[in-house]
Amino acid sequence: MKKYFLILVLLPLLTMNAQNGIFSGRIINEKAEPVFGASVIIVGTSFGTSANEFGQFEIKNIPNGIYSIHVSSVSYEKRTISNVQINESTKPLNVILKEALIQTEQIIVSAGKYEQRVQDLTVSTAVLQPEIISKKNHLTFDDLLRYVPGIQMNLEQVSIRGSSGYSKGAGARVLVALNGLPMYSGDNGDIVWEMIPVADIERVEIIKGPASSLYGSTAIGGVINIITKSTVKKPITNFRSYFGAYDKPSYDVWKWNNTYRQFYGAELTHSNSYKDLGYTVSIKKFDNDSYRQNDFTKRYLGYIKLNYNLTEENKLTFFANYLSMNRGNFLYWKDSRNALVPKDEDNGNTVRSNRIFTGLIYHHHFSEFLTTEIKTSYYRTKFTGYGLEETTSIADLVRGEALANYKASDEFLFTAGLELSHANISSNIFRNPTFMGGAGYAQAEYKGIPNLILTAGLRYDYIKMDSTSGKNAVTPRAGLNYKFTKDLILRASVGTGFRAPTPSEVFTSTAVGGGVSVIENPNLTYETSFSFEIGTHYTMRDISLDAAFYQTDYNNFIEPNLTKEGDIQFLNISKARIQGLELVADWNILPALLTFSTGYNYMWSRDIEKNKSMKYRPRNTVYTNLRFTPWQFEIGVDFRYWSKVEEIDFALAEPPLALVVDGEQRVPAYITDLMVGYNFFVMNIPAKVYLNAKNIFNYNYVEFIGNLAPIRNYSLSFELFF
Amino acid sequence: MRRYIVIMLGFLITLIFISCDKGIEPLEVVGPSGFEGKVTFEGSWPEGIKRTHLVVFKEPIKTVDDFFLPNLSFVVDSIPYGTTEYSYNSIDKPFSSIFKFAAGNYKYVVVAQSKTPEITFNRADWTVVGVYCESGNQTSPKTMIVLPGKIANDININVNFQNPPPQPPM
Repeated sequence: MKKYFLILVLLPLLTMNAQNGIFSGRIINEKAEPVFGASVIIVGTSFGTSANEFGQFEIKNIPNGIYSIHVSSVSYEKRTISNVQINESTKPLNVILKEALIQTEQIIVSAGKYEQRVQDLTVSTAVLQPEIISKKNHLTFDDLLRYVPGIQMNLEQVSIRGSSGYSKGAGARVLVALNGLPMYSGDNGDIVWEMIPVADIERVEIIKGPASSLYGSTAIGGVINIITKSTVKKPITNFRSYFGAYDKPSYDVWKWNNTYRQFYGAELTHSNSYKDLGYTVSIKKFDNDSYRQNDFTKRYLGYIKLNYNLTEENKLTFFANYLSMNRGNFLYWKDSRNALVPKDEDNGNTVRSNRIFTGLIYHHHFSEFLTTEIKTSYYRTKFTGYGLEETTSIADLVRGEALANYKASDEFLFTAGLELSHANISSNIFRNPTFMGGAGYAQAEYKGIPNLILTAGLRYDYIKMDSTSGKNAVTPRAGLNYKFTKDLILRASVGTGFRAPTPSEVFTSTAVGGGVSVIENPNLTYETSFSFEIGTHYTMRDISLDAAFYQTDYNNFIEPNLTKEGDIQFLNISKARIQGLELVADWNILPALLTFSTGYNYMWSRDIEKNKSMKYRPRNTVYTNLRFTPWQFEIGVDFRYWSKVEEIDFALAEPPLALVVDGEQRVPAYITDLMVGYNFFVMNIPAKVYLNAKNIFNYNYVEFIGNLAPIRNYSLSFELFF
Repeated sequence: MRRYIVIMLGFLITLIFISCDKGIEPLEVVGPSGFEGKVTFEGSWPEGIKRTHLVVFKEPIKTVDDFFLPNLSFVVDSIPYGTTEYSYNSIDKPFSSIFKFAAGNYKYVVVAQSKTPEITFNRADWTVVGVYCESGNQTSPKTMIVLPGKIANDININVNFQNPPPQPPM
């Protein structure tokens, strides 16, 4: 066994033979993409070169000998390959560069709707690289977010720095967008994570904090903007598949099935370009039998993207994705002795849905000073729920935005835009309301003072929902970024936000079981916020530290509550406050070999009127990752902790209603995941294999009452590129 | 290198140590909790009364909203008009199956009457006519203590129509 292991490890080195004084090869990243411009240096000599657009390099006339090779590129970890024998028979060498943990030159577009360096921003951000999804075999995109400091997932509902509790998908306080086009649905205003075309993600940009002054209503808690890949110059086909199974539950009394419940999926993606037209096509099937009864999901996703360069200055991007989903509707457990079984009246309930999301982006580059974009999207959602009542909803949401960036001088940059949106809903639980919104925004950036960047912006929104009266909102914000040194940066921002209630929050009227109904509230008004943040970022060699203090005050905060009649209704809480401190650290302990990253968030959230904590907001959270990458192996350990949430929907869990028996059961969460992977690229085999064990200690916890989180599970995934 | 391996091992051991707890466990089944007793009525019943219920509140009534859910914890089935003595048991005589009673301390247990045929959630529709209290002192409500799996006995209330108790906020 040991012998085979050694062969596997040394095989990449054994393949390094020569071709008469010529040392050549290819530099690629972990997504198998060429790293254009990567530097290749033969240590101790004057020999060196850069990789071409295909990642290929070649150095001639090298004296025979054994050398160390340095390979490096911006945003990647530098690699040193020792004991490379260069002689007459040296074969081409493939080198894989890994994304650097500490990225000093990362560019993002979400903070200001134009390209900015991360270190120039006035707000807290995080940038995620997509390969982590395949490495850790995250089954849906929201799983990825569970590992980001400052983000809390309550089932499928995302919360940035405590912006949201849990409202069964009705409404969101974090704007999730695809290339800047919002992906919330017209009726629920929710995010369907399965819609996101994971195979085409270039990076994920996260703005931690209110962004209403640029993005409007839904961004009151922050923004998650998914940027898709650019056009490729060579055809590339990617096939990814995974298979996994859930372990047996911790207690015999929880066993409801004698089989190991499985999950599996396959995805085929092809990208190419023909003259000025680039395209990506992807199909995906991903099913999950689930560890819980009546919690299955069967899904198909199709995705197409076209990039067309009309001229040097004009570009057109079109994309469309279609999701078909059939799933069981697990609402709450029966009780703590039947934690993996739904309540009797819910067992057998299912939801069928179809969704199509399309976007068209026209980019025009007038000059180096002026660029414009016109973005339009159409999102159609349709679902039918089969249960106590048959519930249906069809929503059509059309959205348009015109955006201009004008660089008046080296010091001044202006961004301005107009937005329009309209939704039609046909439903037996939300009535048949219409919704329309219009907005205008402007932002300026000033760089006239050395080391200082100032930003100021303002947005006006008008929103009208059906017969309710129209609402106006003005949301200004300002920010600064000051660099004490290249490595020590201060940032601060202050601003207001607002959020209009979604049609589902205003008009939902349906039974939820146990004699309890959700009732409509046409008097629901929009919530507003005032927030500020001050943060600092410090980088020293292999360590990067980030600290931020934040505070948001909400007025008329919208949350589901129990009425005195015993129904559930979305109501405006008069005042709420969230304060917190977030610390994030990344440490390259051994560059390109051993890295450690951690994030801690302390959050103090209060319903000021009741002087209680806000629901589903843990006070302490810790996320930690340790990654060890010897040779072509990768071993990772992730650990997540959050403290026991103080407030939940006690009214649902406790008498007199006790709709969720034992629903008050909740604990601090300690979740540990393990990942082991091997990359065959260096052996000229374009494949990667990963083995994941999630929740390896089989810790039992809930994110939401009566919903036991995934128990220990194992999966094997592999990717092929051809 | 050895130092870093020690760091890694320390990290892993810490994880194992703090994850030893299994988290949420199945709770043991306990028998039903409840209460029982007798309501006695003195004097003539007021005209037009349509509903009379024994009502259990978790906390004392400090505001109008405290008179309803979720502070309202249990309602016993309606007591017939003109009754002079009414024996009840919370398990046999719940007003509605929606109400699930649980063990706990209940600080305000009363008999309330309404002149509306249907249950309303308007505080003004209800009059408190009797309070579970110590030694007949209706200004000092007594806490009803119900232990898990037990039936609290002798939750008796005397209603004297000539001497009504203080009314909670309207």
